[in-house]
Amino acid sequence: MIDPFILSLIIIVALSLFGASVGLAMIAGSFVYLIVAGPDSSIAAETMLQGLFNNYTLLAIPLFILAADIMNIGSLADRLLRFAQALVGRFRGGLGHVNVVSSLIFSGMSGSAVADAVGMGKIIINLMTRDGKYTKSYAAAITAATATVGPIIPPSIPMVLYAIVSDQSVGFLFAAGMLPGLLMALSMAIMNYIIARKRDFPVDDVVPMRELPRITWKALPALMLPVILLGGIYSGVMTPTEAAAVAALYALLISVIFYRSVSLKDFYEALLGSARSTASVGVLVAGAITFNYVIAREQLPVTISDMLGQYDFTKVQFLIVVNILFLVLGMVLEGGAILLIIVPILIPSVQAMGIDLVHFGVIVVVNAMLGLITPPYGLLLFITANITDEPIGRIIRDIWPFIAALLVALMIITFVPDFVLFLPRLLGYQG
Amino acid sequence: MHKLNQIRIVLGKGAEMIVAALLFSMFATFLLQIFFRFFTDLPVGWTVEWVTIAWLWGILFGFAFVVRESDIIRLDVLYSALPRGARRVMDVITGLTLAGVFLYTLPACWDYIDFMMRERTAYMRLPFFWVFLVYIPFALSVVVRGLITAYAGFTGTGRLHDTAKNAESFDHD
Repeated sequence: MIDPFILSLIIIVALSLFGASVGLAMIAGSFVYLIVAGPDSSIAAETMLQGLFNNYTLLAIPLFILAADIMNIGSLADRLLRFAQALVGRFRGGLGHVNVVSSLIFSGMSGSAVADAVGMGKIIINLMTRDGKYTKSYAAAITAATATVGPIIPPSIPMVLYAIVSDQSVGFLFAAGMLPGLLMALSMAIMNYIIARKRDFPVDDVVPMRELPRITWKALPALMLPVILLGGIYSGVMTPTEAAAVAALYALLISVIFYRSVSLKDFYEALLGSARSTASVGVLVAGAITFNYVIAREQLPVTISDMLGQYDFTKVQFLIVVNILFLVLGMVLEGGAILLIIVPILIPSVQAMGIDLVHFGVIVVVNAMLGLITPPYGLLLFITANITDEPIGRIIRDIWPFIAALLVALMIITFVPDFVLFLPRLLGYQG
Repeated sequence: MHKLNQIRIVLGKGAEMIVAALLFSMFATFLLQIFFRFFTDLPVGWTVEWVTIAWLWGILFGFAFVVRESDIIRLDVLYSALPRGARRVMDVITGLTLAGVFLYTLPACWDYIDFMMRERTAYMRLPFFWVFLVYIPFALSVVVRGLITAYAGFTGTGRLHDTAKNAESFDHD
């Protein structure tokens, strides 16, 4: 008789590889486990329903998705872009730098890399390729690469997912992402500068300095959102979950009042689109919650921790192995699946190694975001390929240098925990 | 057939309105919660309860009636790389497995949900039966969708999803 746990694993892997919903595959696998191992298959449904009902932190997800969708229907992205252009457009490879800076600002408002690429991406790719200044594939590559900063700089939907599986504070995780996000942006700006010199990209039209105050003033309402969000969370005025609602409200208000760019129909479409995304990721979460019951009952995380214990890994070796594991997984899995399925299995091992779980969270989320731009399966590659109509292969060729730049940033993030934990500690994190 | 299709479209629109309304109610309730806490002495317990109910319903009801095949999160690297014939076989296998498992477990799950009539939520005193009831249409939709996928595989009517083309809908990443 086959072991029920092995059987459930086979079912989940087979269903997923055969193209079924990953969330449903995990629920089905858990059902089968319970049918064979007993006592009652309904425990899977019970675990799922209770888990979704009792996990308050999860509620940040739909609202952050909504906030990003509202930003993308308004002309927020447009304003920010003009501000970034006035700021860094004057350097060689200017629009590449504009791409980095606008992604950085956008990431302070949205918690999703995909939303960043969709909202900001269309406009900036158009701007970069309009006069044939940059190749379509380069514009697509740098847009995909810079979008990865989105969920590293707070707010961040993937950090919320990590907070749930690791039982860490969303607030400290958000704070921990700040410096790493800036570092990633810097590494990509440097890479853009090097490539711009090598490929002799033109210098773009310079926005005169005297225009800067006016453009800044116009972008100011949008620029204030990160301040309100983080200020609200760290002063204790609102929980990260409530902050997500405030972000959505703020995006709606400035789009309607200042920029007058949202109609009732737009708002409905944003609600509907967000509800769709929510249901889709929600079932993935539901599947993970359900299958985690099976994993816990089988004590898999402990077994893995014991197994790793035999090898006498040092912290550094362990982190290298984990990074490689996540990078490889990122090539074939999307971010949410990595965070919800793989991370819970590893948490006890990470704790046994004495690695800080907030630090580890940033490492994992950066890896998951790299997974969005590593071929063959990279959502951000798909998105920018759709926008530009370029074959994915060409975009991949142009994205390697940026992956290399991000890997350098990842190494610093991995091996200098003090860098990651500096801000959380400043805010009272004991770790 | 034409009439049937029309009914389906109207029902679909209705379901879309319901999930949009659920999300809007979460949004509004959170704002109320912050407002109540700082400016009034009104209790906020029910707000937490309502948003969690709306979230649960939004996911399961939404997945059952609003989420399109192309929105579903999949791991379709292998699937997409294979020729059509192999994909059809996979569709039949996944469709029938999902339909079978969710159908087989439905009676036991119904017993659990029915049992939860006895427990009530903490603030609104709503029987959990009503909160969890949404599982039934969710499971039934998985069964129906599984059968449709399997049928499409048998008859070769074609592919129902393509993640590379619809990557935009995955904005939780």
